[in-house]
Amino acid sequence: MSGRALVVDDSVVNRRLLVRHLEGLGLSTLEAGNGREALDVVREQSGTIDLVLLDVEMPELDGYDTLAAMKGDDATKAIPVLMVSGVEEIDSVVRCLELGARDYLTKPIQPRIFEARVTATLAAKQLRDTIERQKRELSRFLSPQIASLVSSDDGEQLLAGHRRQITVAFCDLRGFTTFAEGADPEELLGVLGEYHRMIGEAIIEHGGTLEHFAGDGVMVFFNDPVPQDDHVERAVRMAVAMRERFAPLSDGWRKRGYELGFGVGVAVGYATLGRIGFEGRYDYGAIGNVVIMASRISGKAEADQILLSQRAHAMVEDLFDVEPVPELTLKGMSRPVPAVNVLAARPDPLSPG
Amino acid sequence: MLEPEAILDTSVLGELSRAVGGDRAFVVDLVETFLADGITQLAAIEGAFAAGDAAAIVAPAHTLKSSSATVGAMQLAGMARAVETAGRSGSLDGLGPAIDATSLRTAWIQAADALRGWIETGEGS
Repeated sequence: MSGRALVVDDSVVNRRLLVRHLEGLGLSTLEAGNGREALDVVREQSGTIDLVLLDVEMPELDGYDTLAAMKGDDATKAIPVLMVSGVEEIDSVVRCLELGARDYLTKPIQPRIFEARVTATLAAKQLRDTIERQKRELSRFLSPQIASLVSSDDGEQLLAGHRRQITVAFCDLRGFTTFAEGADPEELLGVLGEYHRMIGEAIIEHGGTLEHFAGDGVMVFFNDPVPQDDHVERAVRMAVAMRERFAPLSDGWRKRGYELGFGVGVAVGYATLGRIGFEGRYDYGAIGNVVIMASRISGKAEADQILLSQRAHAMVEDLFDVEPVPELTLKGMSRPVPAVNVLAARPDPLSPG
Repeated sequence: MLEPEAILDTSVLGELSRAVGGDRAFVVDLVETFLADGITQLAAIEGAFAAGDAAAIVAPAHTLKSSSATVGAMQLAGMARAVETAGRSGSLDGLGPAIDATSLRTAWIQAADALRGWIETGEGS
């Protein structure tokens, strides 16, 4: 067994005994003589402490208040706490368990019970740490919403497939194909890297779910898996932010001889969302007319245009200044599609100035 | 009246040795730690008795109770518990004549002698 435990007890005799038991199990230890000292230690070294053995009755700050302070602090609340108590303190122990202590031990220490409880607590902590680490790693590859969905309780149900209204935004670069044909691969990756970084930050800021990157094309949707009442507004605000941030990037590229423009198509409608793919390689995706619509509208957007379907526009018309554009003739759509180009977000009427 | 408790319950020390895999040297070391550390709590309790300070008596009495019970000094642990309880009630008057600074010091000396005796006889090894 490995790990690091903090032993909190006002009696140096009891601390030494607990330290001895812990070392016998292969753990390294830290000591504190009361609750206040213990809080100082866990706040300073929260990331390196796997377990706290906490005495119930102590001067300065007792076990109950120490536990309450630890559980009330995001940095320390995940550290498992085993209460160590005398038999006459059992009422306090119950309160501590209700407050989030993992388990308790009674004095005098029975070695086999001690070992079993410490082992179980550390195993639970290690499992939890592993899950947290996987979640962190996963979120480097997946949209954060999807990463947390995969590891959440109701995740399986959502992954299995559901229908919901979503807003889809498709973004891509005008002139990218020409640029890709002529540029060095390193130059190409450099430009894409700058573009994706900017896009990625804007997606996260606005709470969008990134469905995929395909070269210069990026598909983002809103209102799933996390519900967002203002999904159309979020999508349009994200597109406006991206367009603003695109300008300095494209100025830099122009100086290096590349002429690239940014266009977005936004549509709203119902889609089926969930796991798409096959065992060993699944994606979380959206299927529906709204996806095709946003993609086709994006194809018609010229440099610096954010084209909004009529329905999407109707849902946010008070929030953005737009200009009309000629009806769009889209591949696979029998009738021309009305759309508008977003010029700017209107100032918030509630904000002063 | 509480029934008198043993000055030293050697079975506690025997249990302690077994719990650490028969490492008597560790238990001897732990007892010596108790003898060195307990005297500071005893002094704090005596000071609080002299000042009639119930609040100040609680922490050292609690620590002494807990440490002495760990090494089997049951009579001392019982007296320290009574002192702690009185301290928490806010008044030392309720303790009665049986427990005061003098009787606690006596109990300490008896416990310390018994513990040293246990170390010297090599019992439990």
